[in-house]
Formats: sequence, C-alpha cells, structure tokens
Amino acid sequence: MNSERIVEEVKNVLGGLAREIAWRKGYLEVLVEATNIIEAAGKLKSMGLDHVKSVTAVDYPKESKIRVTYHASSYSREDLMGFIVGLSVDLPRDNPEMPSLVSVWDGSVEFQEREVYEFFGVTFKGHPDLRPLLLIRELAEKRVLRKDFVVKEESIYEGVPFKYD
Amino acid sequence: MILDPILYLIAYPPLWQVLILGFLGSLAVAMVAIWFERKAAARVQRRIGPYWASPALGGFLNIIADMVRYVLQQLIIPGTVDRLTFYVAPIAAFIVSILPVIFIPLSSRPEFWPVASMDYSLLIALALSTLPPLLIIAAGWSSNNKFAVIGSMRESYVITAYELVAVVSILSASAATLTFNLVHIVDAQQPFKWLIILNPIAFLAAVLAVLMSTSAFPFEIPESEHEVVAGPYTEYSGALYAFNMGGAYVRRFVYALIIALVFLGGWAPYVPGPGPITGYVIPSIIVVLKALIIVLFISFLRAVYGRYRLDQALGAAWRLAIPLAIVGFGWSLLLAYIGVFH
Amino acid sequence: MTSGGLEAGGQIPGFIVKKIEKEVYEIFIGPQHPGSGHMRIIVRLDGDIIVEADPDIGYVHRTMEKLSEVREWLKPIPLLERMTIIDACNVTLPYVNALEKLMDKKPSTRASYLRVLLCEINRVASHLYGMGIFGVFIGHSTMYMWAFGDREVFLELAEALTGARLTHTYPIPGGVRRDMPQELPGMARRAVRYMRRRLEEYRKIFVDNPVIVKRLSGVGVISKSRAVELGIVGPNLRASGVKYDVRIAEPYEVYGELDFEIPVFEEGDALARTWVRVEEIKQSLNIIEQAVNWLETHKGEPVIAKEDFDKLPKLHKEVYEREGRVKFVPAHATMKIPAGKAVARGEMGRGEIFYYVESDGGITPYRVRVVTPSARNAIVFKHVVPGHTLMDLPAIYGSIDYFPPESDR
Repeated sequence: MNSERIVEEVKNVLGGLAREIAWRKGYLEVLVEATNIIEAAGKLKSMGLDHVKSVTAVDYPKESKIRVTYHASSYSREDLMGFIVGLSVDLPRDNPEMPSLVSVWDGSVEFQEREVYEFFGVTFKGHPDLRPLLLIRELAEKRVLRKDFVVKEESIYEGVPFKYD
Repeated sequence: MILDPILYLIAYPPLWQVLILGFLGSLAVAMVAIWFERKAAARVQRRIGPYWASPALGGFLNIIADMVRYVLQQLIIPGTVDRLTFYVAPIAAFIVSILPVIFIPLSSRPEFWPVASMDYSLLIALALSTLPPLLIIAAGWSSNNKFAVIGSMRESYVITAYELVAVVSILSASAATLTFNLVHIVDAQQPFKWLIILNPIAFLAAVLAVLMSTSAFPFEIPESEHEVVAGPYTEYSGALYAFNMGGAYVRRFVYALIIALVFLGGWAPYVPGPGPITGYVIPSIIVVLKALIIVLFISFLRAVYGRYRLDQALGAAWRLAIPLAIVGFGWSLLLAYIGVFH
Repeated sequence: MTSGGLEAGGQIPGFIVKKIEKEVYEIFIGPQHPGSGHMRIIVRLDGDIIVEADPDIGYVHRTMEKLSEVREWLKPIPLLERMTIIDACNVTLPYVNALEKLMDKKPSTRASYLRVLLCEINRVASHLYGMGIFGVFIGHSTMYMWAFGDREVFLELAEALTGARLTHTYPIPGGVRRDMPQELPGMARRAVRYMRRRLEEYRKIFVDNPVIVKRLSGVGVISKSRAVELGIVGPNLRASGVKYDVRIAEPYEVYGELDFEIPVFEEGDALARTWVRVEEIKQSLNIIEQAVNWLETHKGEPVIAKEDFDKLPKLHKEVYEREGRVKFVPAHATMKIPAGKAVARGEMGRGEIFYYVESDGGITPYRVRVVTPSARNAIVFKHVVPGHTLMDLPAIYGSIDYFPPESDR
C-alpha cells in the first residue's frame, strides 16, 4: 500500500470527522475535534489500526493549546504495518480535558494516558485508573513537560565565590 | 578423684557424639559442602569462585572468614518481632537438627555407640529429623514480616510433600532387614549387599525427600529469593541467620548419614575390630565419606537446575515420589520374603 | 498507635492507612527486593494466587524528554542512550533517523552498514543480558553467569568498533563517528562462531532443561488478540504469533538489503518468549556476518554523508584519513534543524522504540517524545500477571525482559 492509498482510506473511513489530513515526516496527521475523538478512533481501529505506539502531547503556549496525538499503527494488517497515523486533537491549555480512548485502544494507551496526565495535566474522562505513573504527586502537579516549567541548569561552579586572587 | 566425673562427662558417649561428630563434624561437613557448592558451581559457570583468601587451599579459608563475619556482624532485631520466639527458634532448630546424631551408630562395636541400646535407633533418628521444620515455621511467623510468613507457609506445604516420602522410603530398609536397629541394618548389608543396589527405587525416593526437606535445588522454594527475599529468614541477620542457614546444611548432613547407613552400607565392607582406631575412627570415616558424597551431589544440583514452582514441587512429590517410596517399600517386602538378608 | 486510632482514620506519619479486602494479602515487591529491579509491583494475593498486580514504576525516571528540550540537537544522543545502556546504538538510532528526516539527509551506505553492525551486536548483547537476568529470576544461576560471560564477547566487539563498551554514542546525523578498525571482521567472525556453539549449550542447560520447561510452559500466556490489544512489542509480541518487526515493517538503514528472518512462535507463553530470543540471536549473528562481509569488500566511502564530508576543513579530513575518526567542526554542535515534525521508529532488542521529534527551527528540539519497548510492555504486569501464582511473577517478569531504566526514561 502506498501513501496516497492510505490517505484515501483514512478519508473514506473518517468521512467528515477529519478537520485536516496532512503528511508529516514519518506519519499521517489527522486532526479531529475533541468531541468526536472516540468515534474517530473507533473508525480508525475498525480500519485495522489496532494499537497505539505513543500518546504524544505537545504544549504550544503561544497558541494557548495542547495537542495530543495518538500515533496508531497496525499489527494485524500487513499493508498498514509500515505506516503510522497520528490522530490529533487540540485542547485548550487552561483546562485540557478529553475523553479517554482506553475504551477503544485498551491497554496500549492506558499507561501512556496516565503519563500525559501527569506531565501535561490533561484529564482523560472515563480512564479507569487516572493517577500519576512515573512522578510523585507533588511533582506531577507542576505539569513538568509544559513549556512554562523551565529547567534551571546548575553550573558546576554554583555557589563557588567568583574570585581570582 | 575430682577429675573423674569431669572426664566421665567429657567422654560420655552421647555428649561426645553430639559435640564432636554432631557439632564440629557437621560444621566441618557444612563448610566443605558450602565450599564445594561454590567451587563446583563456579567451575560449571566458568568462574573461579573463592580464591584469594587462600589460593593454595582453593579459597577454603574464605568460608571460615564468612563464618567469622556472620558471628561478628551486628545483630539487627526489628522492633515488630515476637522476641522470644525470634531468638529461640533458629537456635532450637539448629540444636534439634543435630539431635538425631545421638541415635546414629558409627561402628558395630557397642562400646562406641553413643547410647547403650540401638534397638529403635532408625525410628528415633527419623522422628527427631522431622522436628526442625516446625521451628523454622515458628521463626518465620515470629518475624512479623509478610515475606517471612509466605515463606513459612511454603515450608509447611513442602513438609506435607516430603515427610511421608522420607519416612516410607527410609523405613523400607527396616522392611527388608526386619529390624529398626541401624547396626543390624548395616551388618545385614555386609559386605556388598547394599540397599542402593538391591532397592534403588527407595534410595531415589529418599534422595528426593532430602532435596525437598533441606530446600536444595530444584526445590529451593521456601527461601526463593526472587519472590519472598529469604523466606522465613528474611528478618534475620548475623549469627542468627548463620544458625538458620547452617541448620539446613546440618539437616542435609544428618539425612545423608542416615542414608549412608541405610542404603550405602554404612561402614561396610569394613568390619570394625577392637580398639578405638579400627573400632571407631576408620568406620566413622567411611560413613562420613559416604554421607559427604550425597551432600556434595545435592550441592552440585544448584548449578544444573532452576527451581520448581510450589504446586509443581507438591505435584512431583505426590504423583512421583510417594508412589516411588511405596513401590520401594513393596520391593523391600519382596526382598524380605525372598530372604536376601537372612 | 492503637488499632482504635487507625479505624477512626488516624494516621501514622509516613504511612498510608487504607482498608484492604478481607482475605487479601498485599505485598510490596520492590524497590528494595531481589526480584524487582528498580520498580515496585504491588501484588494482592488470595492464598497463593495473585488477584491484582499494580506496577508502580518511575523510580529511575530521569526526565529525558524534558532535558532533551534544553540540549542542543546532538547532545540528547548521549543522554538518551542512558535509558538502555546495554542497547545503546538501537536506542539512539531512531532519534538520529528522525533528525535526518527533518534535515533531509541520507547517511552514506557505509555508515548505514556500520550502524546495522553495531545494532546487531547490541541486540545479541541485550538478549544475553535479558536471558541472564531471566535465568537468575527462576533460580538458574548457571544461565546467568554464562549469559553475562558471553555478553562480554559482544561488548568487546562493540568496544573495538566504537571505543566504548556500553555508551557508544556512535550514530550521528548523516553517519557514524568512526570507521571500522582493520581487525574487526576477524574478531566478529570469531565471536559469531563462538556464539553459535554456545547457543547449543544454552539449549541443553536452560531452554531444554526439564525443570525450566515445566516452570515456563503455559505461564504468562498472552494470546495473539490480547497481545495486539495491549500493544506489547518485540520478542513478547512475536512469541504470541504476530509477525511484526520494524526491520521488516518499515525497513530503516540497510535492513531491506539484508537476508534474515523474523522468528515467530504461536504459544505466547514464557517459554516461547525465551525461544524467540534464542532464535533472534541466531538471526543477528547472520546479519553481523553479512554486514562485516559487505564492509570488508566496500572500502573507501566516507562514514558520514558526502556533503558533510566535503565541507570539512583540511585538518579534519587529515584526522579522518589517519585515524578513521570523524572530527567535527564546532558549528556542528549548535546546528539548526528546519522546523517540522518527524516520527522514527526502530527495533531494539526488547522491541520497538518510537521517537517523535518536533523542531521549531531552533538550536534545541522543541519536543522529543520517546516511547521505549519496556514502557509499552509494562502493561503486561497489570493485565497478564493476575491469575498466576506468586512464584510465576519472576518467570513472567523475566520472560518479558522488562528493564525499568528503559521504561522510566
């Protein structure tokens, strides 16, 4: 299957749900509304994209949005194995909330949604067990992967008096 | 003479046997077994094993250094344990492990027996050898630690698996020779009518039972490190831990002594003569060497096998070892019917 | 503290007091436990049966994704390989591939072969590491010692190729850091011959050992459909009958030109997962041979992309001719990469690794997302372990070859 055919197929499957379909480097990004995402994910899954490789969130403070992308691919359809389809949704930065896709993609997104929750503060409604995965609660509340959490790099000379005499 | 009672006490055969053979002997055997276990496993695994403590002795002093370390190590007693049981259980288990030695003759000459009569020695030795697991369970229970409790539970499960096998398979010797007297059992096997040749099935079952009872591989289940840390001994440290671990080796050695007498012909083909050298030293060395072979064989299995799961070990015991032991017992009855030993 | 106080909701400082179902025994396996690694598994037992397992990971989380955002483009490479230092080339190669996609740069063919060579050396070493840990988890110390001893052969091979035993930092955008030394092909062939002989001995003592077979068969069974739903990766997926390997699904580097097979087993149990690893070592050995043969017969091409090589000053070219080592101009460290989003994936020893790299045209990545194979396999603890006995836990843990530092990133 080549890249044009897969765009065709995704378009056919999603119908009017997709706001935007475009090739990025290495994956096909499909942007949908947060309200439609369960329906869109279900349709992609029925097409054969049966698991999610990564739940990727990116913070865009300038546009005041957080983009969550489900990079899905297939284990069961051999012609789809070589492609990754990114199902994206834009969420408002001040109160990011979206339905959980555990009901669609099951275990392959369960832990990764917990990860996005702790690092970005995105709340997944309907997630069976939404709590921080890697971080302790105190750190998770700081939403460390958002751009406004700035890593302060310490110099190795931190605290050493700056004198040469 | 004031020295007489003291001399009598020191030379009192049960004490002599328990102190010299039982304690020091089994300590020496345990050290050799541990050393061999580490060296043999190292050889199989393409390592060197203990070495630098004494290159000429193949690192044997390393074991002694280890023991010194155990004794000198700080004894950490967690605040939540049941103190009395926690202290007493490992020490009592160690002592009870040695006790069967009193009823194990190392010569056919009555003056060198630890007790005056050996008539029911096999029965009593076997009965005593079944006591230590109860104390191990007590040790685990008193630790008030979840891993220790799980380890104790496993120990108790394993007891149900091996106890019957051990008793039936070793008593099959009595069935064949029509006596509970270990001396008579050995004498009946002179010079080469050893029960291992005449009844290998019972021997196999007995070795299986020893493997399980002393948690040797592939049945190292109660202390299985990767689930229950150290099983019943999780909270123990220092000398008390050494008692726990040493107890397992002592039990292994005592079982091996019984098997050496019962299946490997004891001091046969040697016939003990008069005097301490020919009457005691030579036959006891023969018996201990035979026992050592069994201990070392058991130690070597560590390098070959992984460990069974608990249910598989119980299954192996109930489906394989118990039928084996019963068949061995029947075979012994057949031997007695034919009259091989009489 | 009296029990009345606890029932009334009293708290011991530092302790969390909570109600547990009656007749359920909760034990915390890890993080200080011989059988846990750098993680904790909260296990609830009913008798000897695990009714619930909750993997509590994150003990070695090192903020790789965040730190990558404040490092210049090249510097995340040595950072990211710390996730899995036993598989260092495989873990960084997709990141480099993603950068190459953003820069529209193709590595030279020789560089590709060198990368593949190191990747396969890493894969063998990684599988040996996994099998060693697995061996000791189920009480087989000989397997542990053998595997770790034989892994040394491949570490030395990697050292001869890159100069470092573990943290090679070998691939860079457009190529690799140094060329193959003269003596490497001979060493590699000896190592391959040796390992083939040793695999036969592994089979005798471990994989075909009756105790091990009994312990592993039928344990931790993941059916094909369940494996797909859980999205697990690598040998664990292939042991469940899914023929998926990134090297075949989306060939990167020169995997498309090499001749190798993807071993697939149908059983889906711990034993099948072990067998997949053994068979994969065999295939990797084949690839190492092919790569070495190609590299020996195709000399003279630079190990970095042609356009980069031409731009090097004279001194740097001389160093390259003399030592086979690529010396960079300082501008390389602060290079800018065109804006865009790229995804790259690769097959590590433990499975598929996924990178999402976004650039805003600056000197540091805007966002690096990495999903490692262990991070995706962690779900197995939650969904496959319940229903097994406690003694099966190390068998499942070891057989999925879970590696906490990799999972925690």
